[in-house]
Amino acid sequence: MNKVRSLFKARWMSSLIFLILLFLITGIADPNFLQYDNIISCFNSATMYTLLAIGIAFVIMTGEIDVSIGATMGLAAAVTGLIAQQDGGIPRMLITCILIGVCTGIVNGLGVAGIGVPSLIFTLGTNSVIRGILFLTSGGRTVENFNAPLAGPANQVLFAGVTTYYVIAVILVIIAHFVTSRTRRGKYFIAVGDNPGGANLVGISTFWTKLVAYILCGIFAGIAGFVFASKYGQVMTVAGNGYEMTAIAACVLGGISLSGGLGNMVGAAIGAVIMSSIGRLLVFIGLSSTYNNTITGVMLIIIVVVDALTQRRAIENARRKRLLSRTAEGGAKA
Amino acid sequence: MRTVKKIFARWETFLVLFLVLEFVVFGAANPKFLRTNSIMNALVNYISVCIVSLFVTMVLITGGIDIQAASIIGLTSIIEGVLWSDAGFNIWLAVLCAFAAAALCGALSGFCVAYCGVQPMVMTLGGSFLFSGLALVVSGMSATPAYQGISGFPSKAEDGSFVDFRFLGKGNIAGIPSQIVIYLLLIILCVWILHRTKYGERLYLIGVNQQAAEYSGINTRATIMSTYVLSALSAAVAGTLLTSNVNSAKADLGGGYTLAIITAVVLGGTSNNGGKGSILGTVLASLIICFLRYGLPLCFGVSTQNLDLYVGVILVAVVLGREIAGRRMISGLFRKLRKKTA
Repeated sequence: MNKVRSLFKARWMSSLIFLILLFLITGIADPNFLQYDNIISCFNSATMYTLLAIGIAFVIMTGEIDVSIGATMGLAAAVTGLIAQQDGGIPRMLITCILIGVCTGIVNGLGVAGIGVPSLIFTLGTNSVIRGILFLTSGGRTVENFNAPLAGPANQVLFAGVTTYYVIAVILVIIAHFVTSRTRRGKYFIAVGDNPGGANLVGISTFWTKLVAYILCGIFAGIAGFVFASKYGQVMTVAGNGYEMTAIAACVLGGISLSGGLGNMVGAAIGAVIMSSIGRLLVFIGLSSTYNNTITGVMLIIIVVVDALTQRRAIENARRKRLLSRTAEGGAKA
Repeated sequence: MRTVKKIFARWETFLVLFLVLEFVVFGAANPKFLRTNSIMNALVNYISVCIVSLFVTMVLITGGIDIQAASIIGLTSIIEGVLWSDAGFNIWLAVLCAFAAAALCGALSGFCVAYCGVQPMVMTLGGSFLFSGLALVVSGMSATPAYQGISGFPSKAEDGSFVDFRFLGKGNIAGIPSQIVIYLLLIILCVWILHRTKYGERLYLIGVNQQAAEYSGINTRATIMSTYVLSALSAAVAGTLLTSNVNSAKADLGGGYTLAIITAVVLGGTSNNGGKGSILGTVLASLIICFLRYGLPLCFGVSTQNLDLYVGVILVAVVLGREIAGRRMISGLFRKLRKKTA
């Protein structure tokens, strides 16, 4: 029973309930929505955002931020496309994508954790640089006309309507969740984000932890780029622009605190599903897609304000309790 | 000697040197760069970022961040267009309404940040979604298709000069484009607010230590909220000038400026941890970026689509260099202290 209760207190639980509520409200507006196919396709279309969100979740947990993932994803997608044009195989594409992610991650990690530049500023800079490299590699043109092995698996269904890509994404989410919540080294991310000084004192290297977080973030962005190229079949030079903000919003919706040290991977994955299905839900409710950003904004603001207020109340309650117990003790002694 | 050292220790000195270097290099590569007219044109093209970054500096000094200002540019533009062309308002009344709407947007974010304790980055991220979304909704109310943009603002005099609303964006005052005159006035206003008034001092104090500021009798929450309102209003100014300049009200004006604005503020030496920064630095930094974007294609044939690469490289190099140099200075200080105590 206690376990169930603590499950309901978990921060990601509220975002799951929120997702279910969203589906139910849409279902009331248009009962046609509540069909298996529709709901599954909401999850399927969240593949890219899921990958980006769990990647950036590592970085956000350590208390930093990375706004260069959109460009990293675009670069990986463009390079994947170029390899596909030369009839390269899938393994070669994936390895290149991961290498791109590792490189951007190392650069970001060294700049932020090694030299100590504020992360927002540094990744803003690398964002433009990576976008520029994307422009140079693609020659400023849209990369298209891919070979069959790349375009094929995008809509391949593994079982019961779930695409292969989403299954892989979910497996990655589960691994990431297990690593960050169960393994010793995985818990370093949260420890560093919660209290960098304290983590340092107990012997956790903040430098290495942050560096690894950035590298993981880059790798996930690289894989997302592969999915992007495979799914859309063409990569423009602005591909992935703005995805970083959506991924950050997904993390926030999933209960990960931007000041670090709070949240988990399942929340980020659920947040990604919410972010990517809003457009689809609006169609069923009968609003045009122009309301997409408005609804996203309202939702995000409501969630973060409620979260901030409840957190503050919890802190005040704890303080009151502490004070009360202290005065009670004092009274007993006197 | 010491004063010389002090001047060189200041970040603004470095920015001035950089700006001069830019003029020397670009001017040597292509004398066309030095034409006054083209320089002013370049500045006019980048004026939105220059104006908004002035007031976003204040937000950063209090320890916040504002990534919603760019979406407010589009929102004010489309509100002006719809009120003027579809609701039949007088254009100046429409501008007034747009400013009021922008102030409300800023107040909403400011309230949530200051009074509810939401992290500024998250709140303004939500705000940027919300306000760009609202801009689309407003543009949906217009009879004009959204992609076309509402045009035909008043007006042109018979001799071809721009008067009335269009004067803001296209007119000249003593040979200087009116946008630049407005920018200069805003710079003076900002310098006065930030460096000459009590309000400005409070901003710095809040950025250094909000709790201490609160205990010393400053209404920190209202002050923080006011910075967001100010930056939203500056976005409204930028939106109005842009609308007037291109003669078209669109919901997506200013869409890509978010990162440019933050870049200008940060390159100007304002720390996003609060308590540090100056208007002069922001002005210099936005000019540096502006002339880079103008000079690189003109003098070195860089593709205009790929300017971000070079601007990004310079930003990264500058912040890295500054961080490393700063660290050496701090360690040097410690060494001196140690010598003194020993």
